[in-house]
Amino acid sequence: MKKAYVAIAVMLILAPLFAWAADLVNYSEPLENAAEEAGAEENQSYSGIFPDYTVPGLNPYISALITGFMGVAIILAVFYGVKMAKND
Amino acid sequence: MHIPDGYLDWWICVAMYVISAIVIGYSIKKVRGSMDGQHIPLIGVVAAGIFAAQMLNWPIVGGTSAHFVGGALAAILLGPYAATLAMTSVLVVQCLVFGDGGITTLGANIFNMAIVDVFVGYAVYNALKKHGAIAPFLAGWLGIWLAAIACGVEIGISSTFAYKIGITVPTMAIWHGVLGVIEGLATMGVVSYIRVHHPEKMEVAA
Repeated sequence: MKKAYVAIAVMLILAPLFAWAADLVNYSEPLENAAEEAGAEENQSYSGIFPDYTVPGLNPYISALITGFMGVAIILAVFYGVKMAKND
Repeated sequence: MHIPDGYLDWWICVAMYVISAIVIGYSIKKVRGSMDGQHIPLIGVVAAGIFAAQMLNWPIVGGTSAHFVGGALAAILLGPYAATLAMTSVLVVQCLVFGDGGITTLGANIFNMAIVDVFVGYAVYNALKKHGAIAPFLAGWLGIWLAAIACGVEIGISSTFAYKIGITVPTMAIWHGVLGVIEGLATMGVVSYIRVHHPEKMEVAA
């Protein structure tokens, strides 16, 4: 388990680097390419608490670092919470 | 592959929510029956690892890029039912907290990445696991490929995409067919590592 947490931490620390590299090559996913070809528009009615992994006022790379740790913390909290509820 | 709001017609959103809710409900039942409380943190760690891996957008020169999805990997490590729950938790957090994938399309995103990727990956792995590393490789590759095709069908029968299913399915299938090789290699790498170093962790739910 300990090694898994280390691996997770390493990935999260690398996330800003990947975000920067993806920007360099104009990151776009196949789904976005398909949307462009078909002329589809997205219509996001709700954009989350930290839209697109950004924290207001922070640059995108620091945001990616912070939101990564945040997401992992929320997910772990949910499962550990379920475990604790189950043990009661 | 996270579908944003606005891409899918309402009836597809509803149908996907219903199908996904049924599979999630059944998965909860199965996991409750087969796993004890000690395994719940392991599901959480796999989910957290997949969330972290999805933060890494692999840049590919030529403008298209992708990130690891991980449904097949989760299925190999946890069994398909716990994997569906792990993937669902990742997609729900991505949607609600980070606006990655729409709320109306969350059911479809769960169907593609937490159900199709998981169960296809698991079936492929199970069929081929006697043949060594090729099993997790093809599980990762085919899981993501079929998930992408499912996504292509859903958008292709929607009015926003002008019902251009003849364009959306090939676009998704070709791109993710190529990018899926990375998913296959990553799945193979992690499974091989765990099998060598922590054989007792392989598929705790099976």
